[in-house]
Amino acid sequence: MVRPAGLFSSNAGVTAPGPYGGAWPSVGAGAVLLFLPAVLPDYYLYLMAGIFVAALLAVSLNFILGYGGLLQLSQATFYGAGGYAAALVLTRTGLPFWVVLPAGPLTAGVLALVTGWFCVRLRRLYFGMLTLALGQLVWALAGRWYAFTGGDNGISPIPLPGFLSSPRGGYYLALVVMLASLAVLYRLVRSPFGLTLQAIRDNPVRAAGVGIDVQKHQLTAFVVSGLFAGLAGVLHVVVAGSVDPSLLDWTKSAEVLIMLLLGGMATFIGPAVGAAILVLLSMVLGVYTGYWLLVLGLILVVLALFLPQGIVGFLEERLSEKNPADRAVR
Amino acid sequence: MHLTLLASQFLIGLSVGMTLFVVAAGLTLIFGVLRVINFAHGSLYMLGAFLAYSVASFLGPAGFWPAMLIAPLVVALVSLGIERGLLRFIYDREHLIQILVTYGLVLVFSDLVQIVWGTGFKSLAPPPGLAGYVTVWGAALPRYNLFLFAVGILVAVGLALFLYRTRMGKICRATATDREMVDVLGVRSSRVFAAVFVLGGWLAGLGGALVAPTVSITPGMDVTIIIEAFLVVVIGGLGNVWGALVSSLILGAGESLGVLFLPRLAVAWPFFIAAVILIIKPSGLLKSVW
Amino acid sequence: MSGKRHFTILAGLVSLALVAALVAGCGRTPAAGTGKVLKVGIIDAYSGPASSYAKDALDGFKLGVNEVAANGGPKIDFVTRDDQFNAAKDLSWAKELVMQEHVDVVAGLMNSAGALAVASYADQQKVPFITWESMSAQITGSHGGKYVFAMPPNTTMIGNADAKEMAGLPYTRYWLAGDDYDYGHSVVNSFWAALQKDKPGVQKLGTSWWPVGETNYTPYLNVIRAAKPDVLFAGTGGADMVSFLKAVQASGLNKQMAVLDHTATDPSTLKALGADAPVGVYGTSDYLSYYPATNANKDFVAAFKKAYGHGPGFPALYGYLTARFLGAAVQKAGGVNKTKLAEALSGMTIDSPVGPVTIRAGDHQLETPMFFGRTAVQAGRTTLVMKNPVEIPAAQIMPSLASVLASRKK
Repeated sequence: MVRPAGLFSSNAGVTAPGPYGGAWPSVGAGAVLLFLPAVLPDYYLYLMAGIFVAALLAVSLNFILGYGGLLQLSQATFYGAGGYAAALVLTRTGLPFWVVLPAGPLTAGVLALVTGWFCVRLRRLYFGMLTLALGQLVWALAGRWYAFTGGDNGISPIPLPGFLSSPRGGYYLALVVMLASLAVLYRLVRSPFGLTLQAIRDNPVRAAGVGIDVQKHQLTAFVVSGLFAGLAGVLHVVVAGSVDPSLLDWTKSAEVLIMLLLGGMATFIGPAVGAAILVLLSMVLGVYTGYWLLVLGLILVVLALFLPQGIVGFLEERLSEKNPADRAVR
Repeated sequence: MHLTLLASQFLIGLSVGMTLFVVAAGLTLIFGVLRVINFAHGSLYMLGAFLAYSVASFLGPAGFWPAMLIAPLVVALVSLGIERGLLRFIYDREHLIQILVTYGLVLVFSDLVQIVWGTGFKSLAPPPGLAGYVTVWGAALPRYNLFLFAVGILVAVGLALFLYRTRMGKICRATATDREMVDVLGVRSSRVFAAVFVLGGWLAGLGGALVAPTVSITPGMDVTIIIEAFLVVVIGGLGNVWGALVSSLILGAGESLGVLFLPRLAVAWPFFIAAVILIIKPSGLLKSVW
Repeated sequence: MSGKRHFTILAGLVSLALVAALVAGCGRTPAAGTGKVLKVGIIDAYSGPASSYAKDALDGFKLGVNEVAANGGPKIDFVTRDDQFNAAKDLSWAKELVMQEHVDVVAGLMNSAGALAVASYADQQKVPFITWESMSAQITGSHGGKYVFAMPPNTTMIGNADAKEMAGLPYTRYWLAGDDYDYGHSVVNSFWAALQKDKPGVQKLGTSWWPVGETNYTPYLNVIRAAKPDVLFAGTGGADMVSFLKAVQASGLNKQMAVLDHTATDPSTLKALGADAPVGVYGTSDYLSYYPATNANKDFVAAFKKAYGHGPGFPALYGYLTARFLGAAVQKAGGVNKTKLAEALSGMTIDSPVGPVTIRAGDHQLETPMFFGRTAVQAGRTTLVMKNPVEIPAAQIMPSLASVLASRKK
């Protein structure tokens, strides 16, 4: 075998605790985000809310891909499943919003359990292709079942409760849910479960040798990742107000993968930053050029050649170099 | 239902599969030897179709055969540029980085094709001798489909001769099985890699040029083919050319028969077949070279 | 917690990006809406297989904008956004155009899922929205409203037009097929419903659905041929039409049964196919540059050719009409007030290359004629044309207003 350590052996995963920083920067960042709606025009709130949704989606993918070492090529399936579940509950029932919020992740989680049960028996690219094939089956179903999902026309408009129908409402919900989800995922990564998962990623044979149930851990991670992707799907419904099959398509999954690689997989927050960059790039460049895909393609190539660890990975390395004490810890 | 309909439908499916094989063969070869996940393979296929269109319309009515010759060669040249200018720097990187680079190329090519060729519908007529159809078992088989079937067989035979009868082919197979050993033996693997990537690109360009007379040549052809080609490569067993042949034929015949029995689900059919095969045979139909 | 450094970096980067975006936003032209200049935001598929239609429509729109200004009408400014035929992208561009660019009108939209989402959003924001390519009947149906307008004949009208003409022909055994996409299903369903009404006793032998972007129709055509219907009615459109007609030609299907497809006779399709197009295929067209041979149509075609070097297709007509309607609406409303614009557009009639056309007051669907005929070789031309086109007046194909308004009540 050429890569005995698995596909993603160079992934650092857990970074050592940083010796500097303190509580103030994150409190400051939180405060800035909380008070932004006071000064930002509606469009920027909408844009920021879209970034929060994409950030949660990208971090949820990194949980299975970066920390779990499983080549999930169809994350959008669970994002779309969560979105469709929320949209269907909102348009077809009179249930209150606090029921809708868990309906999305639950649907996505069950779907992840079913597909994951088949997938975790497979390795590497075979795993990836099975996720893709099953995901495209879900996509085909959502796009053809006109009576239930609205087919390729999707579902729009989706009635939202009053406090969520303004860009500001969407902003706050997306912000709060994203921060809470990221905190949970962060704790999970550092929990015994998360550490075991990373041990499996780095050496599955050895992990199995010491008595770890590899497939059970991977399936659990698959479901957790799907749950949070589904939650991001619910947020999408709140922010956008419509769903359609393009949410579930493999091109959406590819977009999430790009976010992950842009920001860097080796850090917890990298994918979120990648999401912010990609969303902003697409909305800002698209205003100025019809050929923004060409620009994005060139950026990707250059980045992969010169910044393979991603933007955040690169920044972290630089910060560590400036701080010898930190480097010693790493 | 008539048995003849079943038989003709099966035959049509095989011809569909053969076309898929020409494209997938190049992809799996690159997988096997270079271990690069080349997302841009579909773009090279699209480029082949557009180039064939340009050459044929430039040369006029007799332009079909020169187009089939020239377009794949130009694509091979482009492949050489991609390999020497870009890919050779990332052979030792993670697969995901390779995906990122080649996906970046997909985006670049999709816009470039539109800049060069514009947006109008494009079409290339088959040569007079291959137009029309022949009747087999009551079915009207387009002559051009039979031609594609024959070319698919030629490509398979050619690849077999290359892999088993030439020195380069033997090195390719050895590299696919044990790269370190080949390096130790003093073979310059860099040159082998370049050659294989160019061959793979040529096959993609050939696939695109061959398909051009049966489809509408548009941007977006790349996306349609790449996922199906990937399914073929993976369910066949990564890097295994014969696996790709078997799975192409299974997908082609399966889709064709699916149209007959479950017409409502045609769009989901390839994914369904791929999922079932992968669940039953978790590492592909034939032995992977990885 | 060690994650703080991460969050610091995140916050820093997000703020940086935000500042960049704000700076980028500030550099743009200030909001219109108060002056005399009408600002139109156009969203369409400028990349991908559908870009051919999007470009044609935009060319027509530009021609109309220039003509309106040359005739002393209001000045119309516009910006374009590429949606890559992605519905989610459509809605985010619509929000950008409305909230950030402060456009007075949103137009374009080929993707029907996107058009529906944007229609609802625009109606809710009270911004006039005109689709010039999407043919979903739901746009002026279930998603219709005071601010929603549709230019091209929708799927119901297409089905009605095809059924009306086929009812007069001696065929009874039909096979129905189409794109496995809303367009295909809607056209086929409305055709079959209308045909059963116009000609009781017609028989449906079977149906086939192929994916959008299908590259090989031979397996489908083989099954259809084996069933021996009198007519294959196909609901396929766009770039796929070229592949579909190639397969019809290569398998000689047009010699064994009548083949009917809405855009089969469309010049952009026939031009691409050249001599490789099947002869005798039935089709309906929204617009033909060579028929009707009126002065209005000849002038439009001449002006379009002068500007772009080739003839206009049907999207060009609807882009052009959009500009002409908007010009007239600004004049009638006496400014660019969005509500007054919407009210002015409703029920408005203008002269056009296909004769006078009216935006029906009840549902805001354009009443425009269609043309029916068969593909044929014409001496002196390298591409096939629609031979002896029959004009079907709008009045005969419009769905009843009662049925449209009933679909809004759901």
